[in-house]
Amino acid sequence: MKMEYFFLTGMWIFGLIGFILFIPRKDRRKGFLALMMFQAIIWLCDMPSFQYGLLSAPFREFPKATDLALTINYFFYPALFSIYYINKKEKGTIWTSFTYFFLWVTLITLFDIMIERYTDLLKYGLLTWYGMWIYIALLFYVSQICCNWFYKEKALLQTERQES
Amino acid sequence: MRVEWWIILSVYALSTGILFFIPKNKIRLAVVAFLFKQIITFLIGLVVVELGLIEYPIRLFASINRTSFTYEYYAFPVTCALFTVWYPNNRGRFIQLGYYVGFTSILTIGEVIIEKYTDLITYIHWEWYISWITICCSFFITRLFCIWFFSKSADNLL
Repeated sequence: MKMEYFFLTGMWIFGLIGFILFIPRKDRRKGFLALMMFQAIIWLCDMPSFQYGLLSAPFREFPKATDLALTINYFFYPALFSIYYINKKEKGTIWTSFTYFFLWVTLITLFDIMIERYTDLLKYGLLTWYGMWIYIALLFYVSQICCNWFYKEKALLQTERQES
Repeated sequence: MRVEWWIILSVYALSTGILFFIPKNKIRLAVVAFLFKQIITFLIGLVVVELGLIEYPIRLFASINRTSFTYEYYAFPVTCALFTVWYPNNRGRFIQLGYYVGFTSILTIGEVIIEKYTDLITYIHWEWYISWITICCSFFITRLFCIWFFSKSADNLL
C-alpha cells in the first residue's frame, strides 16, 4: 500500500478514536464547537497559503476539485485542536498553559514535517519548518480566542438555549 | 471588471448586511449554524465538483480551488445563520414548512438566474430541483444540529 493511503487512513482512524477517547461525554458539544471553529479558520488561512505557494498538497483526496488537503484540514487537525481545547486546564498559571500550548503545537509541527518528508500529502513551498510552527501556533491561538469568546458569557448561552 | 466580479462583490456585501439582522442575544446560535453549515457545504461542494456535476468557471482562489469559496464559505452559511435565528419555533407546522420552502426557493431561484446569465456557475449534470432538495436538506440537518447543541440536557455545556 502506498504511504499516502496509510497516513490518510491512520489520520481518520486515530482522529476518530482520539475524539471519542479524549473528549468526555459531557464535553462533546464543546468538542464539536472547537472542531468546527478550527476548521473554519484553517480553511480560511490555507486558501491564500496555497494560492501563494507557501505549501502544496500533491497527493490529495479530491485532486480535481481542490488543491487543498482535505483530511488534514477537514478532520485531523480540527480533531486534534478539539482534544487540546477540551483537555486544557482552566485554572493553570500562565506558564503551565504556555507549556501545554507549546508542546501541542510542537508535536503537531513534528507530525507535519514527517508527512512533508515521507509522503506527498504535503510539500512546503516558501514555508520552512519554523514557519509551519508559527503557522500552526497562530491557528491554535486564534481558534482558542474564538472558542473562549463563545463560552465567555454563560448567561447569554442560557437564553439562547431556551429560545432555540 | 466583468459583471461576474460585481456579483461576487455584491454577494459579499449582501451577506455581510445579513449579519446585522442577527439579534445580539442569539449570536452564538448563529455561530453554531454558520460553522455547522460550512461542514456540510465544504464536503458536498467538493464532491459535486470532483464528480463533474457542477462547474464554477469564475471563482475566488481560482488556481487552487474549483469550488465556490464565496458561496460555500460565506454566503450560504450566513443565510443559514439567519434562517436558524429567525426560525418560527412556536408557530404552526404550516408556517414552519413555508419558512423552509421560502428560504430554499429564494436561494434556488437566485442560483438558477446566476447559472443562466453568468459564468459564475454552470450546471453539467445537475438540475434546479436537485439544488432545491439539497439546500432544503442542509437547512434541516443544520437545524437538528443546533437543537441538539442547545438542548436542555446540555447542562454540562457550561
